[in-house]
Order: sequence, then C-alpha cells, then structure tokens
Amino acid sequence: MLPCTPTMRADDKMSMPPKLKDALSDIRTGLGLWRVWMALAHEDIGDQHRRTTLGPIWLLITYLSFACTFIFLFDRGHGATNYPAHVATGLLVWFFIMETLTQSATLFTREESFIKGTRLPFSVYVMRLMVRSTIRDGYALVGCLAILFVSGTTFSFAWGWSALGLLLILLTAPAAIIIIAFLGAFIPDSQFVVANSMRLGMFLTPIFWMHDGASGVRAFFYDWNPFTYFIEIVRIPVITGQMPWQAFTLCLVMCLVLWVVALTVFALLRRDLVRVL
Amino acid sequence: MVSIEVENLQLTYPLRNRPSLALRDRRIPEMTGRLRGQGRHRYVIALDGITFSLNAGDRLGLVGSNGSGKTTLLKVLYGIYPPTSGTVKVSGRVDALFNINLGFRREATGRRNIELRGLINGWTPKQISERMDEIVEFSELGEFIDLPFKSYSQGMAARLAFSVATALDPEILLMDEWIGAGDRKFQEKARARMTELAAKAGIIVLASHNHGLIKRTCSKVLELDNGRVTAFYDKIEDFKE
Repeated sequence: MLPCTPTMRADDKMSMPPKLKDALSDIRTGLGLWRVWMALAHEDIGDQHRRTTLGPIWLLITYLSFACTFIFLFDRGHGATNYPAHVATGLLVWFFIMETLTQSATLFTREESFIKGTRLPFSVYVMRLMVRSTIRDGYALVGCLAILFVSGTTFSFAWGWSALGLLLILLTAPAAIIIIAFLGAFIPDSQFVVANSMRLGMFLTPIFWMHDGASGVRAFFYDWNPFTYFIEIVRIPVITGQMPWQAFTLCLVMCLVLWVVALTVFALLRRDLVRVL
Repeated sequence: MVSIEVENLQLTYPLRNRPSLALRDRRIPEMTGRLRGQGRHRYVIALDGITFSLNAGDRLGLVGSNGSGKTTLLKVLYGIYPPTSGTVKVSGRVDALFNINLGFRREATGRRNIELRGLINGWTPKQISERMDEIVEFSELGEFIDLPFKSYSQGMAARLAFSVATALDPEILLMDEWIGAGDRKFQEKARARMTELAAKAGIIVLASHNHGLIKRTCSKVLELDNGRVTAFYDKIEDFKE
C-alpha cells in the first residue's frame, strides 16, 4: 500500500526547500512504483491496437512508410553518403521526440480522473508516457535496423555511441515531459503551440535534409534547432563511425538545464496542479 | 495508532482568469458567499473552518446536499487536495473508493484489473496473487472475472472495486456514495466487511445521501453545508433524517 498520508499543512507556509523536497520525494516514490507505470504503459499500447489484426505492427508499418517515402522521394541530387541511414536514424529519434512532446502537453488533463482519485505520485504519469513512447519507438527501431541492413550500412562498435545517445535522450525525456505537462495544465493554449511546433519541426529539423555546408535559412535551422543535436548523437556514429562529442556535450548541457527547470517547475506547481485541472 | 485529526481546515480554489481574446460577460456580478473576490483574484471556498477528530473504531458518515463539500473533504483526507490553511493529520494506511470505474481498464479482464488496481494501491505482485482468489470470491463475479471489464454492469463494477479496496485491510477506508450501486445482498455483505474493518481498530468515512445507509453503517455523523460543518453527531442515535 502507498505510504500513509503525512501531516498536511497549508501550502502557503511552505518555502522552496520543503517544496523541492516534496518534489524529489514524488519522483523517488514514483520511480519505486515502476511496476505501475510499466504495466499501464503496456496496457496503453495494447488498448490502442486491441481491435486491429496487425496490432502494434502498425507502428512499424507507419515508420517504414514514412522512411521509405522520404528515402525514395528525396534521395536524388543530395550526393549524400548513405542517405537511407540518414533518414532512418533521423526519423527514429524524431518519432520519439514528436510523440513524447505532443502527448506531454495534454498529459495531466488526460490523467485528471486518476489525479483526482488516487494518490499516485505525478512522476508515475510522466514515466508512463515515457515508457509508452519508448515501446512505440521500439517498433520503429526494428524498422530502422532493417533499413540499415538493406542499405548495406556496416555494423561497427561505434553504434555503441548511438546507444549512448539514445540513453541520453531517454534521460532528458522526463524533464521535458514535466515542463510541457505543467505548461499544458496551467496554460491550455500551449498544447496547440506544442502540437503545431512538432508538425513544423518535422520540416525544420534535419530529418530528411542535410546541412551540406549550406548557409542561409537551412543553416540557421540546423545550427539553432536543439533537436538537431539529439538526432546527430544517434545518427553520426552509425553513418561515420565517429562520436560527435560537441553535439553530445551540448545535449548533456541541455539535459541538465532541462532537469533544473523541470525540478523548479515541479516543486513550485505540483501542489496547485490538482486545483487547476 | 490509527487516527484522523482535522483542525480549522480551509480549502479554496483559485478561479484563474486566463488571458483570452474572447469577449467577457460583464453582467457577472461581484461574487459573494462561497465565491469571493473580483477580477483576477476570484476564488471558491470549498471547505471552511472544518475541525473534527476520529479514533480507531470510528465510522463517520458525511451528509449534506450536493456541493456541500463531502467529496472534497474525503479527497483532502486522502491527500489529493492540500489544505489552503489549517492542518490535516492522518495516521494509518488509507485506501479510498471515490469512483467505481477509476483505475479500471475497459478492455482488460476483471482479473487483469485486479492486478492493475493492486499495483496502483502499492501492493507487491506477491500480495496481489495471495489475495486474488479471495477478491474474486468476494466480488461474486464468477466466470465473468475473465471477461473484459466493459461487459460488466455498474453493480458488478462496484462489487469488484469494493472487493479490491478492502482486500488488504486498510486501516482507514474513505468511500464516496458509490455503495448504492450494488444490489441489496451485496450491500449487506459490504456493510458486514466495513464493520469488520472498523472492529479491527480502523476508521471508515462514508459520504452518502442515503441516510438509511449512514444509520446502518456509521457510528458518527458530520453534516456539511456550503463547505462548513453545521452539525456533528457523536452518537448515531442523535442523527435525525
């Protein structure tokens, strides 16, 4: 059974350190309830495809149809080395980012009945979304590996750097979910901003296009788009066999900054969340 | 020691006035009563000046009209709403039944739902498997337990929810109205289990409009109106419908 309800006092008497302690306690308890978010995430995936014949294989088909369309439509005139691998890895990371961030904006409003009916730590909902997105992207990973195999990409131990890149993305995801989920709960309009940004992001992020030493708008969106670097830390080791340390360091810094912001937001707004839903 | 102590509890909800391009209705008068404030600082007083204490063995009935604050008080006791002012001290393992369907997956079987509900309640897989047969038996679902939850009637769902909530002997059980959903036979069975729980030095708080049910089940009654306590009956005999 969940820990018993502690003594609760008025929140206006709480200063920042106790609020931060509460937030960290929420995350610690939430992580301890890993069976809950794992089970709920699996049920979510099952429910989404329960009445279909192909089930979650549809996730693989969706990924392959997108990837193959981009590869066949745009693999002309680029002169890129291993364009299929470029698209396959880019789309793999983008699908995860898009799914996670878009769903984050409505996370707490979707979970309103749970939040108002149980004492589950809020971090359980965050982890549930992250696991669900990870499972969904797992099907895309199968498609990605298939494209890499068919396109003749040579396996190397440098792929381990890509795995490290994926791990960093997974470590960053809960922080991003917390920030966007609170934003969505307190400023409902933000869910449309996030959804539209993700739709545009598909074209403004180097998923199927390359930098190619270009200047102008394309270079701007390559250099100043944070998603670029999260894609490159997975993509470059697969294509070139090298670890892009600069991009990795940048992603690490972004991860730390996001966690600082996420913990601050979580500490400040956690107790008010139930009242605004 | 199992106990609940509530002292001068107040709970307010801010009515957020978000920036909007939509035209404002200027006919809305200044808020009074439970709705206070003006402009950007409007808020609702959901509970005000609530003070009471319960000890092991107490079964408290919460009565009052719709919107009087019964459910909100239960949710404060459960720890869902933090108080705006005052203190709430709850000692003991708490379980609650607010919404029959809460936490149940429509597509999953009753058995799978017991597992999920158990996990949500913080049980270990071992505790779930140890209690599975007992829960199935008490819920009287029989072979329906392996059918999807969406095929259950409201009464069947209520039986399953109650069976799970009371399976791990919570020291404090909070319930909102829902019990009327079961048939009379099951209500009797549920009442017997609640009495048994309270006898095991537990506390039960039941919110209901059904005064007959309150009289049969509870030993004390707290009457709420507009978020304030209007009466506290220390003996159930003193409570008149």
